[in-house]
Amino acid sequence: MSTPTMSPQDSRHIAKDAQSTLQWRRFKFPGSLIRYAVWLSVFVFLAYSVEYLEIPLERLLGIFGRMGATLANRYYPPDMEYIMDADYMRYVVETIQMAYLGALFGLVATVPLGWFASYNMTPSRCFVYPVARLVTMSCRAVHEMIFAIIFVAILGYGMLPGVLALTFFCTGFAGKLFAEEIEAIDIGPVEAMRATGANLFQIMVFGVFPQVRVAFTGIAIYTWDVAFRAATVVGFFGAGGMGWYLKRNVLQIESERVAAILVSIIILVFISEMLSAWARNTVMKMK
Amino acid sequence: MKILDVKELHASYSASGPEILKGISFSIEDDDFFAIIGPSGAGKSTLIRCINRLVEPTSGVIVFDNRSVTTLSRKGLKLLRRDIGMIFQEFNLINRMSVMDNVLSGRLGYTGNLRTLFRSFRRDDIDHALQLLERVGLIDHVDKRADELSGGQRQRVGIARALMQNPKLLLVDEPTSALDPKISREVMGLIKQMATELKVPCLCNIHDVDLAKEFCNKIIGLQDGIKMFDGLTEDMDQGKLDEIYAMEVL
Repeated sequence: MSTPTMSPQDSRHIAKDAQSTLQWRRFKFPGSLIRYAVWLSVFVFLAYSVEYLEIPLERLLGIFGRMGATLANRYYPPDMEYIMDADYMRYVVETIQMAYLGALFGLVATVPLGWFASYNMTPSRCFVYPVARLVTMSCRAVHEMIFAIIFVAILGYGMLPGVLALTFFCTGFAGKLFAEEIEAIDIGPVEAMRATGANLFQIMVFGVFPQVRVAFTGIAIYTWDVAFRAATVVGFFGAGGMGWYLKRNVLQIESERVAAILVSIIILVFISEMLSAWARNTVMKMK
Repeated sequence: MKILDVKELHASYSASGPEILKGISFSIEDDDFFAIIGPSGAGKSTLIRCINRLVEPTSGVIVFDNRSVTTLSRKGLKLLRRDIGMIFQEFNLINRMSVMDNVLSGRLGYTGNLRTLFRSFRRDDIDHALQLLERVGLIDHVDKRADELSGGQRQRVGIARALMQNPKLLLVDEPTSALDPKISREVMGLIKQMATELKVPCLCNIHDVDLAKEFCNKIIGLQDGIKMFDGLTEDMDQGKLDEIYAMEVL
């Protein structure tokens, strides 16, 4: 098995006398060879991709200047009056409601799903586990925008398809994280609960959920973050919220209004992230 | 009267893996305080976990309270486990729950799912828990979180939790290895006292031979999955001890 004949370390190998049976080489066959091959392929593919894209490096240098010029000419000043409108505010509120409902429903679905999709605690490893994993993986595999397009196609315009799209998105997002948290628990209390004659549900309530409660709160806050960011754009496809405003103004080339909407999104996401960072810090202080 | 009878017990963690227990037989009377001693890796924990099937034995017969343990259905296994209390080396408390909830969790086998979810235990159970907490000296710490307690106090919670089940047998897995010598003796004393008072036989894993001799009336010596000694504590002498621990010297 281990006959590294090509190793460059061979020349440095000192214990050459026939008496010595102690040998050690950093180069392992085939482990080291595979590792080198992986690195090599990463660089080869990088070179190939850059070559294929024909990225004109000299133009990259001027990108910031041109971007600044475009923003200054077409997007400045943002039409702030446009977004101070009560009608627009209604859409902002709708966006927040959508994100809230999507995150909430997603998290509610995550609790059983994360349990079923955790290898150590799943009720059945050969049936429930693979199904739950498939569901979380499918929710993750499909982008939230694609969910929005699908649900708008099925249910028509409005908030409901937006909420559903966000629910699926949050389920996939939080489900995997939560399952991983459950897989990392200390199995001791679980064993203790099992030894009292508790059933699986009781073991979860007493042995598992208390251990992942803080982690789950962290995941919930994080989920809110991504749900809110996603909620600002699902409206692009008619799924409710301020995304619809954005799309309309982009199509009408109302650049100054688009700028104002982007500013409002940035401000809202910024506020939301500040709040959730504060909430996360507070949660992390709880043990 | 025999409460537990084990015959030709074999266990291994995987079909191809090494055999941990190689045909162990012994029996426990209903007033025994039984010690299992032996070096690390001898199979003490595995043996104790086979009794309530936290570890599945590969073959052999276990009869507990006239029930054949190895052939029980899932439902039967839960009923069996209700009757066997267990005390753990690392306490295995739920750190983020209060002392009270930890002790009450010993009653889960008698509690429905809905009550479990809302932690709404029966009044009798709560009274029982209070009595036990008073007995183990933790009545002032009822509402503290389990992880606020010291090691010795945590093990007392573990003892109360096990007794909460009104067990017919106590399995005790290295109750003192995580504790200092003085607390170890106190904890062993408490287990012994409670077991005598409530007339619960004990099967206790312990690698501290002095504690085993002090508290237990019978001893099994295990070495590499084989029973090397089985008898009264008085019959255990230095020669036999050396034999049991011979492997560890290597």
